Amino acid sequence: MDETFGNYSILGKAIPRVDARAKVTGQAKYAADIEVANMLWGQINRSPYAHARILNIDTSKAEALPGVKAVTTGKDFGGFKWGWSGPTRDEEPLAVEKVRYQYEGVAAVAAVDEDTAQEACDLIEVDYEPLPGVFTPSEAMQEGAPLVHDDRPGNICVEYHWNFGDVDKAFAESYLVREDTFQTPRMAKGYLEPPAVVAYWPDPERIVYIGAKGSPYFPYRILAKCFDLPLSNVRIITPIIGSDFGGTKNDMTPADFSAVMLAKKTGRPVKFVTSQFDALTTDLRRHPMWITVKTGVTKDGILKATSLKAVADGGAYTRISPLTMFLVGTCQTLPYKLPNFKYDAYNYFTNNPSSAAMRGHGLYHSRFAADVQLDMIAEELGLDPVEIRLKNSIENPKPGEIYETVNDVHVATCGVQECIEKVAEAVNWKARKGQKKVEGDTAYGMGFAAATYNSGTKLSAHNACAAIVRVCEDGSVNYLTGATDVGQGSDTIMSAIVAEVLGIRLEDIDLKRVDSAFTPVDPGSYGSRVTVHAGEAATKAAEDAKSQLLEVAAQQFGVKPGDVDIKDKKVFVKSSPERNMAWERLVRIACYETPGKVIIGRGYSTQGISMYGLADFSKGVGDIGTNYSFTAQASEVEVDVETGVVKCTDNNVIAHDCGFPLNTQAVETQVQGGSYHQGISAAVYEEFKMDSGQTLNPNLVDYKRPRAYEAPMTQVIHVITNDPYGPFGAKEASEGSCCSAPPSIVSAIHDATGVWIKDLPAQPEKVFWALKKKREKGQK
Amino acid sequence: MIAAFEYFAPKTVREALSLLAKYKEEAKIIAGGQSMLVVMKQRLLTPEYLIDLKGITDLDYIKYDEGKGLRIGALTIHRAIEKSPVIQKHFGVLSEMEGNLATIQTRNWGTIGGNICHGDPAGDPAPVLIALKAKLKLASSAGERIVEAEEFSKDYLEVALEPNEMLTEIQVPTPPAHTGTAYEKLMVMKGDMSIIGAAVSITLDSKGGCGDARIALSNAASVPLRAKKAEKLLIGKTINNGLLTKAGEVASTEATPPADVHGSIEYRREMVKVFVKRVAQLALERAKAA
Repeated sequence: MDETFGNYSILGKAIPRVDARAKVTGQAKYAADIEVANMLWGQINRSPYAHARILNIDTSKAEALPGVKAVTTGKDFGGFKWGWSGPTRDEEPLAVEKVRYQYEGVAAVAAVDEDTAQEACDLIEVDYEPLPGVFTPSEAMQEGAPLVHDDRPGNICVEYHWNFGDVDKAFAESYLVREDTFQTPRMAKGYLEPPAVVAYWPDPERIVYIGAKGSPYFPYRILAKCFDLPLSNVRIITPIIGSDFGGTKNDMTPADFSAVMLAKKTGRPVKFVTSQFDALTTDLRRHPMWITVKTGVTKDGILKATSLKAVADGGAYTRISPLTMFLVGTCQTLPYKLPNFKYDAYNYFTNNPSSAAMRGHGLYHSRFAADVQLDMIAEELGLDPVEIRLKNSIENPKPGEIYETVNDVHVATCGVQECIEKVAEAVNWKARKGQKKVEGDTAYGMGFAAATYNSGTKLSAHNACAAIVRVCEDGSVNYLTGATDVGQGSDTIMSAIVAEVLGIRLEDIDLKRVDSAFTPVDPGSYGSRVTVHAGEAATKAAEDAKSQLLEVAAQQFGVKPGDVDIKDKKVFVKSSPERNMAWERLVRIACYETPGKVIIGRGYSTQGISMYGLADFSKGVGDIGTNYSFTAQASEVEVDVETGVVKCTDNNVIAHDCGFPLNTQAVETQVQGGSYHQGISAAVYEEFKMDSGQTLNPNLVDYKRPRAYEAPMTQVIHVITNDPYGPFGAKEASEGSCCSAPPSIVSAIHDATGVWIKDLPAQPEKVFWALKKKREKGQK
Repeated sequence: MIAAFEYFAPKTVREALSLLAKYKEEAKIIAGGQSMLVVMKQRLLTPEYLIDLKGITDLDYIKYDEGKGLRIGALTIHRAIEKSPVIQKHFGVLSEMEGNLATIQTRNWGTIGGNICHGDPAGDPAPVLIALKAKLKLASSAGERIVEAEEFSKDYLEVALEPNEMLTEIQVPTPPAHTGTAYEKLMVMKGDMSIIGAAVSITLDSKGGCGDARIALSNAASVPLRAKKAEKLLIGKTINNGLLTKAGEVASTEATPPADVHGSIEYRREMVKVFVKRVAQLALERAKAA
């Protein structure tokens, strides 16, 4: 697609990625590629038990092995615990008294090579007293169930109860009330690059940490606390990141702490590279969740009330679960008008690996449940899926107006109706009715869904992104950002924004990735927040630098600064553009003649802080997002009715309101790969199968994830709403569309076969028995 | 981490056989390593000696003669079989089977011999070779012997090789006139090991009835399984849809499939019914066209 939007030199078009060449030529350095002189290799000793008391750890044999330079255990960390927020600090770098999930880290070794480190790990003798465990929320909630954390009665990790409007009254007044329970599985995040780290101490008071982190200022703060150092002495350097998708690359791993501790002990750099097996057995997973939705509607299908109950398996430690459970509930009042809403959330500790954020964080679960149920309601009422969505969806507020939900979520722009209409038109929805749907053993079907996602996520504590634009004397520009590109293309967007504002070319910008010694502090790459907040910071920093240069230009032309502008690398007098000079000349004059300025522009984001304050998790009110993206999607499937195998097809359309597509190509490819393919994956393929805390498919052969053969393409339609709270009108891209794929695919399976798959993924055997049951019922 | 071992890379069959004669049970053969290295990394096998046959170029061949049939050297890579024009022309089912065997990368390094000797009942080549009435040539320093492909698998990951023996050649006879053979498997992703697979060969008699039938299943038992009762049901009859459905049902009773994360025993039994019926149908069409 070669569409362009807006009247910009660079933005609103297909912008080539600034990191593409380095990546495709193999020049890009990832954490696992980092080698430093005198480096040691680390390995982690892990617990074979999912729940056990640690009675004794004997490291003497490991220490005696030639080539071993140091061994560390949890006791070395002096009782340090960490977590997402103050009250949730429940995890130790390495387990000290108890292990709470299988393969939790217990000790670590640094040795001259990887094999020696592994051999030494195998020589560490740990005496365990195995304890009975809890492996599902239903086990965890039983009275007298074993406790994962002795100080957390009932194994309750998070509990919320919200109530807006009068749900009971609304149900009583409803023409139809339906209650259904849906289930979403535990999933891997799906990064190709497992976590890796190299850490060293350049002197006894300073840490250098180079690791695969999407939110590098997490380890910055946590390591400072853990090793009792001022933040000024913790240097986090971010190499190229091989994708993230939420979770582990925000948080810490035992290897992160162990690398720094072993480097301290040995005085040498220590490197850990997580194996695919360790990543698949111990890294954070998407929460398995049981979502019960009760919905009341009028005879015409207008939503009156929803009561939502979500029960989640949080795993062994709290991690980010309080946010997950908030997100499951908060956006239930989008993208459809919902006057009454009740939410009860229960997240339980279990002896499974911890659960955490994954693309479409939280909303993915409840949107799947509610959007599939909306189709069930439509079927009961004899309404068309598109019709019922159009009837209920929120209209785009007029410029200057704000739509406020019953739980105080504020929306300045909402393109969901346009998205629904454009998708319905693109797939010729109306004409599909009554078409032949079966060829041999293959049944075809199409399903529809709509979704939303919060962008520019803002949490309590530090929210602002900051940026520095450093104009070099030859006209080239360094852009220093605290934001991290984890593959989403933010380095390209930030460079493009700076170039656009300065009036120069994309290739004039040299972006400096995070090095906490030099770059400004930043919350991190999560919650679809980077474009909105870091983009605002980039805009302001570039404007700051530009205004300094315009002052110089005005002096040169003998006009006021407001009378000059820069475009296409030329500064000119607006009223008489023939009076102009080249960008390089302007910069040179500024740096040498005026007399000798240093042009540094600075900026930080404020939209996320100023707009409506912060959300209250316990009450469920307020905005988690600075603005909200919207999506509609139609998906076609083919179902082998004899085997239950479901395949998604190229006949798929996603319309996405990301406010304004700063880089059309990045939005399209993210919606294709990061939404449709990840959505297919969640709907049809991926699930960790567990047995008493043990992962039964910890490899990418048995854990199914689509490859090129199973990943069809989708058409992407841009819907422009120009949100006032995002840079150049932008909102998040593609997390919202990650949430519309599973419900549209499940509805498509129903369209094809008449069965509803309420628990994901729709793997062959599950679909097969559902079809068989339906056939047998039909015969009776 | 792979446990330490001593590595040999013989260049000739003779050299390999003398190493096998010397180290016997303590040695393991690697012929591509697509399966062996995985089990070694998991430490399910920790051989003292590893004999890598990849360098024996004499066993990398595909030969065809109408009378003698097809001869495939044990060290021929999967990709070569998949792409061989002579195999595509005369034994299309072998090429088709290879096209869905794992990934192109694996097919470019893994060998047909290595696959068969690994003895995984979910493997694809064995049931197809059984349906084609193939024979295997085994060699030791004491001499050579021929076994039926069907007799080669003994149990899960166990084959009829003596510790001093290796597979050198796969021999596939030219099928009689009016024979059609097909293989399909249930897979979630292209190239998956079969959840259930069926190879069926049907030879029509002069009246168009079923003169002979062979049905071999993958991942339906601890070895590649011949569904003999189902075959019997077809032989001598005129095949129609009802009969094929019946054959699937009978084959399903012969199967003793495993349960794992990809399917229960009950589901696999149901899939035996589907795949025997579907594949036999395809084989029948091919026999009619042949």
